[in-house]
Amino acid sequence: MLLAILLILPLVGAIAIIASPAKHAKWIALFISTGIFIYSLTLAMSFEHWTDGQFGLASEKPFQWFEQFGITLSVGVDSVSLLLVMLSTLLMPLCIWGSFSAITERVKEYYGWMLAIQAAMVGVFIARDLIFFYICFEFTLIPMYFLIAIWGGENRAKACIKFFLFTFTGSMIALAGLLYVAWQYSISSGDWSFDIAQLTTFASTELTASQQAWVLLALISGFAVKVPLFPVHTWLPLAHAEAPTAGSVLLASILLKLGTYGLYRFILPMVPEGLLYEVTLPLVGWTFIPLQLIAVLAIISIIYAALICWVQDDIKRLVAYSSVSHLGFCVLGLVALNPLGMQGSVLYMLNHGLSTGALFFLVGMIYERYHTRDMDKLSGLSKSMPVWAFFMVFFVLASVGLPGLNGFIGEFLCLIGTFVATADNTANPGILGPWYAAFAAVGMILTAMYLLMMVGKVVFGALKEPTVSHDSHHKPLPKDLSIREICVLAPIAVLCLYIGLQPKPLTDAIQAPVDEILAQYPPIVNRYHASQSRPDDFVLIQQSTEPGGAN
Amino acid sequence: MFTNTLAVDLNLYIPIGLLVVMALVFVVANLAMTHLLGPSSSGPIKDTTYESGMNPIGTARKRFNVRFYILAMTFLVFDVEIIFLYPWAVTFSKLTPQSPDAALFLGRIMFFIATSIIAYIYAWRKGVFRWD
Amino acid sequence: MADKLWFLLPEIWLFVGVVVLSIIGLSKSKSLRDSLPFVTCFFLIVAFIMTPFVYSADRVADAPLLMPMLGKYVKMIVCAVGTMLALLSVGLLDRPLEAAMAEGRTRFDAIRVNRGEYFAFFLLSLIGVMLVCNANDLIWLFLALELASLPTYIMVAISRPSSKAQEAAVKYFFLGAMSSAMFLYGFALLYGSTGTIVITELRDAFTDQTLSEGGLSRLAIVGMILSIIGLCFKIVAVPMHFYAADVYEGAASPVTAFLGFVPKTAGAVALILLLSTVGWSNHHGFNVDGLPREILTTLWMIAVLTMTLGNVGALLQRSAKRMLAYSSIAHSGYLIIGLIAGPPFGLNAVLFYLLAYGLMNTAAFAVLAAFERRGQEIESLDDLAGLRRRYPVMAVVMAIAAGSLMGMPPLLGFAAKLYLFIAGMNAGHVALIVIAALNSAISAFYYLKLVALPLLAQSTPQSETVIPRPVVWPRVAAIITAAAIVILPIFANQLIKASNVANSIEQSALLSATDDLSLVEKVEDGTRH
Repeated sequence: MLLAILLILPLVGAIAIIASPAKHAKWIALFISTGIFIYSLTLAMSFEHWTDGQFGLASEKPFQWFEQFGITLSVGVDSVSLLLVMLSTLLMPLCIWGSFSAITERVKEYYGWMLAIQAAMVGVFIARDLIFFYICFEFTLIPMYFLIAIWGGENRAKACIKFFLFTFTGSMIALAGLLYVAWQYSISSGDWSFDIAQLTTFASTELTASQQAWVLLALISGFAVKVPLFPVHTWLPLAHAEAPTAGSVLLASILLKLGTYGLYRFILPMVPEGLLYEVTLPLVGWTFIPLQLIAVLAIISIIYAALICWVQDDIKRLVAYSSVSHLGFCVLGLVALNPLGMQGSVLYMLNHGLSTGALFFLVGMIYERYHTRDMDKLSGLSKSMPVWAFFMVFFVLASVGLPGLNGFIGEFLCLIGTFVATADNTANPGILGPWYAAFAAVGMILTAMYLLMMVGKVVFGALKEPTVSHDSHHKPLPKDLSIREICVLAPIAVLCLYIGLQPKPLTDAIQAPVDEILAQYPPIVNRYHASQSRPDDFVLIQQSTEPGGAN
Repeated sequence: MFTNTLAVDLNLYIPIGLLVVMALVFVVANLAMTHLLGPSSSGPIKDTTYESGMNPIGTARKRFNVRFYILAMTFLVFDVEIIFLYPWAVTFSKLTPQSPDAALFLGRIMFFIATSIIAYIYAWRKGVFRWD
Repeated sequence: MADKLWFLLPEIWLFVGVVVLSIIGLSKSKSLRDSLPFVTCFFLIVAFIMTPFVYSADRVADAPLLMPMLGKYVKMIVCAVGTMLALLSVGLLDRPLEAAMAEGRTRFDAIRVNRGEYFAFFLLSLIGVMLVCNANDLIWLFLALELASLPTYIMVAISRPSSKAQEAAVKYFFLGAMSSAMFLYGFALLYGSTGTIVITELRDAFTDQTLSEGGLSRLAIVGMILSIIGLCFKIVAVPMHFYAADVYEGAASPVTAFLGFVPKTAGAVALILLLSTVGWSNHHGFNVDGLPREILTTLWMIAVLTMTLGNVGALLQRSAKRMLAYSSIAHSGYLIIGLIAGPPFGLNAVLFYLLAYGLMNTAAFAVLAAFERRGQEIESLDDLAGLRRRYPVMAVVMAIAAGSLMGMPPLLGFAAKLYLFIAGMNAGHVALIVIAALNSAISAFYYLKLVALPLLAQSTPQSETVIPRPVVWPRVAAIITAAAIVILPIFANQLIKASNVANSIEQSALLSATDDLSLVEKVEDGTRH
């Protein structure tokens, strides 16, 4: 019940906003989202499993939905989930406060949807039932769809449809995969259950490697769209460019994390054998190792998106593509299969949420003032807006990965993790290695280049401001940031600095759950390496070590 | 998982296929044969309507007043009623008077007659019997 | 005899309604004529309340029916959705005539008013559906199906004064007659193969055939496949789906909503009864292992083709009604998954899905039925553009209906589809579920239009001319159904329990199973050991 309040409160708030007059909408939304944040803080304070990786705060008597299939709306969090919950509850009041001046029409709907999306996002992280997870995962689409479609830019119709269709298609396939796992579980145990813990244990131990591989492909097609990985990333720049500022912030900070969270929570624990199984596609006959495929796609995402960033004129698009690039690191860290990479990856989720979210805020503030995001039209803003320029430089440096700020630790760990993910690493062998790390590092350099170039153009240099005619229904904003805007950015900045200097509490919190997921990997990876080095024995090893069939 | 649904013994469908082929062959062959074998001649006289040696008068597509149909349908309702009542009457006379069976029998036909009366009222209100 | 009649009490009550309605319709008093839809609603609501009492446990125990409790569930959903459909039809019929009479241009002429007949046929068709679930022999089944269909042909024809409606009715009638002939021929072959037309005896005969000959006789299989294909017409499935777009477009929106729900329910229930005679794996107390392979293959192909053709067809439409017609086809494809999966889960899913589809279909058409332009109903998707600005509630209702049809959580359509998918998975049809999932993804593309146009698009000069119908009731029905779509998912578990009881066969188990799920557990135990 403690956690369920996090879900119910925003929904109640949304209804309250719809029912009350429009001028109160933003204050109600701010009040409720702040309340939720404070509530989640107290939850975090009282949480007992910060370091042991256990799930806590579970509901004792969850709501039974389809009793026959054991679908319950059960909740519970471990330290990683709770961190992501905190991230979303922290950003929500900031997003709401940040949109006070930008949103002037259909305000009731806007703040209603904002609170609805908060419920869905929190629901994804606290769900302990597969169907409940899926419901929340899908439901994030609806508020986001409307946020883009109603308060978006010129091209919003195309953007929101593309966003919706990509994600919906992916998650439908993922649903089929999840149902398959649950079905196999029901065959072997005689009862249906959608409990995530049970299904994870079952899938990782009882399913054959080929079954796992197919489940993996189904799941990855759902989560890769959300992350987004290279071939299915095309919805993201469009959606980001068109979304209102707060929508972009939420999209980048939290909704993209749903994809990596899915990788972390489902794919890695559920289908370890499948990740290293040599899949042969029917009809075309291509063979690949899923883990390698994911890693290669992640690297392509990193470099490809970074190169695109280099030639972007639109600041918002640049930040959007940089998200694609950054999330590539995150995925790479996850598939490194060692604690370094995975910790780095989870940290990266939080840090990217903070710094990229802040960057979107900053871009939004510029856009509100000058109605353009074109780098060619903006230059030397440090002279006219010093406070804005300070924050911009700060968050760009955080994003680039300057040591001492938050971005560094996550990115560094991901890279190190990838580097050491070889067969020689006896404790946690992986199948990546220096080559993968080297390519990813190229992306890191590119990131520094395009972000600093952007800063150089926009913040420094000769002052160039486009002339703007203020339309009547927008209240004129001060030249530099207002107190409200500073208050939105400052908490994020403080947190970035704190995490950068003192990442230990976070890495400690992430340690235990990560170790638990990784525990099952070394034998599987060793077996894979053995089969690679002695191809003749491959069949034999495969037969002798595969767990029995699902029936 | 795929095999149990897709692999079908298609031999089972041979009789149906044969029947379809036979039907097609029969139709096509008949048409073709009459066309090929039968003697045929045509001319303006041959194409005219045959009406017992008379010259045709007017068009063949003459419309009847819709009231004829309505009246015919009403007639049909009462006709069917008679058809039901007759066997009922024959059987009813053989039942023991004042037995429960007889009561049930009577009740049923009363219900039937009641529905007919409603149908009659409906037809009357609808103006079926008005001819103007 | 009396037992059998007892279960027909709701139907008999509705038949009284038919009589009353057809007489009231001829009244000279305008207020009496205007009361027709509400009288219809009254009869339906009373039938709804009556049904649970009719299906009391002791009565059901010795009912000579295959699925004795089926009637309770089906009759209740038919009455509930029927009430909404009746509200949609308020003010639909005789508008020019009534207007002329109100202005004194013409006198009341009984032969020219159609309203009483419309609502009488409306109830007759519902009676047909209700009778289907009481069927215990093939003749009854055939007659009930015809009773459900025949009135709809006339309803289509008189629904609006347009040659399109006439054309639709004629097409519908001829194709319907063909399909009836087809499944009647199928029934005849079933009789030829077993020597009986009683459904419970058919089941025993088929069991004997399977046990003694290792499978059904060829005659029985051909008969069954013919029956299935004939019934495909009722549920709008491939290969009998061609009429859907034209007929749905030709009929007035309230009638189209009716066509989307009523014949589909009749056909689905008839298919449940028919297929239960040849068996499903792990059926309650039924010892034949699964549907015969030929029938399974037929259904499998029908399901895949139906959902794919329906969804792809819908992508190409510009007319909202045609689009919803294709969506109706697609949903039949999903429905057949449940029939393939079989009891208990598959049939629960079918029955649950029927309710969900009935509600969301009604909600979508209610929005279309609530508006008009110069007395003509709106058809094009573009007419909905920018609806939000002027009629926000209706726009939201349309979005809810479309979201639910798409299968968006947390709406009712999602719950129904999820249950259906799990049921299909439970029966081992992985490929089918993957295809269905991909189809759902395709369907999002066109359902999004129904969300985006009313809620997000700017209104055009063309859509500005759209005004609401002078009666408020279609809008009321739209709001009620939309509320149901939002609220009912919370009670999905209870609805599933009800449908689970509805499709159970064992009489002894029934008495204990009316309130809990012991039946399911029992069956599962039975199949496992």
